[in-house]
Amino acid sequence: MDEEKSESAVVVKDLSKSFGAQKVLNEIDLCVTRGETVVVLGRSGTGKSVLLKLLIGLQQPDSGSIRVDGEELVGLQGRPLTEIRKKMGFLFQQAALYDSLTVEENVMFPLSQHTKLSAGERKTKARELLASVGMDHHMGKMPSEISGGMQKRVGLARALVLDPTIVLLDEPTAGLDPITAAEIGKLISELHKERHVTSIVVTHDIHGARHFANRLVMVNEGRVLIDGTFEELHKSKDPFVVQFLKDAD
Amino acid sequence: MDAIGSKSLPLVALAGAATGVVLSLQARDSLVRFGAKSMLPALIVFSIMKESGPIITGLVVSGRVAAGIAAELGSMKVTEQIDAMEASAVDPYKYLVATRVLACIAMLPLLTLAADFCGIVMGWIANTLVEPLSFRLFLSHGTKGMTFNDFFPPTLKTTVYGFIIGIVACFQGMRTKGGTEGVGRSTTSAVVISSLFIILADVVLVRVILVFFS
Repeated sequence: MDEEKSESAVVVKDLSKSFGAQKVLNEIDLCVTRGETVVVLGRSGTGKSVLLKLLIGLQQPDSGSIRVDGEELVGLQGRPLTEIRKKMGFLFQQAALYDSLTVEENVMFPLSQHTKLSAGERKTKARELLASVGMDHHMGKMPSEISGGMQKRVGLARALVLDPTIVLLDEPTAGLDPITAAEIGKLISELHKERHVTSIVVTHDIHGARHFANRLVMVNEGRVLIDGTFEELHKSKDPFVVQFLKDAD
Repeated sequence: MDAIGSKSLPLVALAGAATGVVLSLQARDSLVRFGAKSMLPALIVFSIMKESGPIITGLVVSGRVAAGIAAELGSMKVTEQIDAMEASAVDPYKYLVATRVLACIAMLPLLTLAADFCGIVMGWIANTLVEPLSFRLFLSHGTKGMTFNDFFPPTLKTTVYGFIIGIVACFQGMRTKGGTEGVGRSTTSAVVISSLFIILADVVLVRVILVFFS
């Protein structure tokens, strides 16, 4: 267990989740090493976003185990769960920015709740992060005044503001133009190189994922089909994988 | 507190004022028939302070504030803003719910005082237009025999209305599902349920006040 705690940031065992009669995840196993960037691929509706929400405790699994930094997350509530969440950043598919707060206030919000930084220090940190995602010129705008791509960049800045060790990104490039998608991909790559952050990225963008991911996990019908490198994916003879790659090209 | 209190003030004041005018016009007619016209100031002041002011405030605020809270939290729920708050390790029940419930509890008695004041003043104006009477004399006749128990418990009972409005609206907002249609459903439910609970609570509270304060 000590070895697991030191090496693995996230360990998922036999994780199952159903919504009514529909089994979305069926005894999934996943192990993510510290500093690794893992991409989760699969068709829409195969439970990839649900997996991320389970990993941060927004939903509870039907069965199975999730260990984050060696601590069991399933069934955890209150302060212990809060402490684990502070180590994690989450980028939602639609960014989920607080629509009553400005871009800058959105990024400062977690700081004001969890740190004793002064207002000036919070502003400085928010400004630095927004600059790193190219949004420092839009700090006073409301989320409704910026585009979807910009919202995702702000969401990424907000996810990183507490200096998390683990980042969960849900479709960070979906619906974006190729240039913005490439910029977001570069930012994710920098997370790994500069901050040594462990990232789990749900995406359909297999081509973009090559640039920032160390490993990929392909999910289909609630099960892990492939857990390996891009080379292993291309060597696979599984009909679903072959079709997925063919359609992606 | 600003959104719940000061922004509800014009509506509550108007509702209180209208109640005062209607009470004055209707009661005058009945009291004249029974030869008890001199009781009009007391009837207006007592009925506004003991019942009309608190219940009108409760119902008006439930319409305005419960709808607003349920719609706001419902929109946050369906756009994953509440999930984002939880993911940021912030408890949305403490940050969003507790603050709104407390604001409702704190603001209802203050709004009730405003409704009482407007109702009494407009009741006097409506009365004076028919039969001139100074405000001082109106108040003096109206509050004759009035005790602390006639004023304080009925005003304080609106804290319960505030609690009902806050809890029902937040509950409906936080359990919103199904996009914008769901937000509409939550908003309607919040207003209907909170209004209903306020009326039921009023029945119980009036009985409790009569037992303990009369």
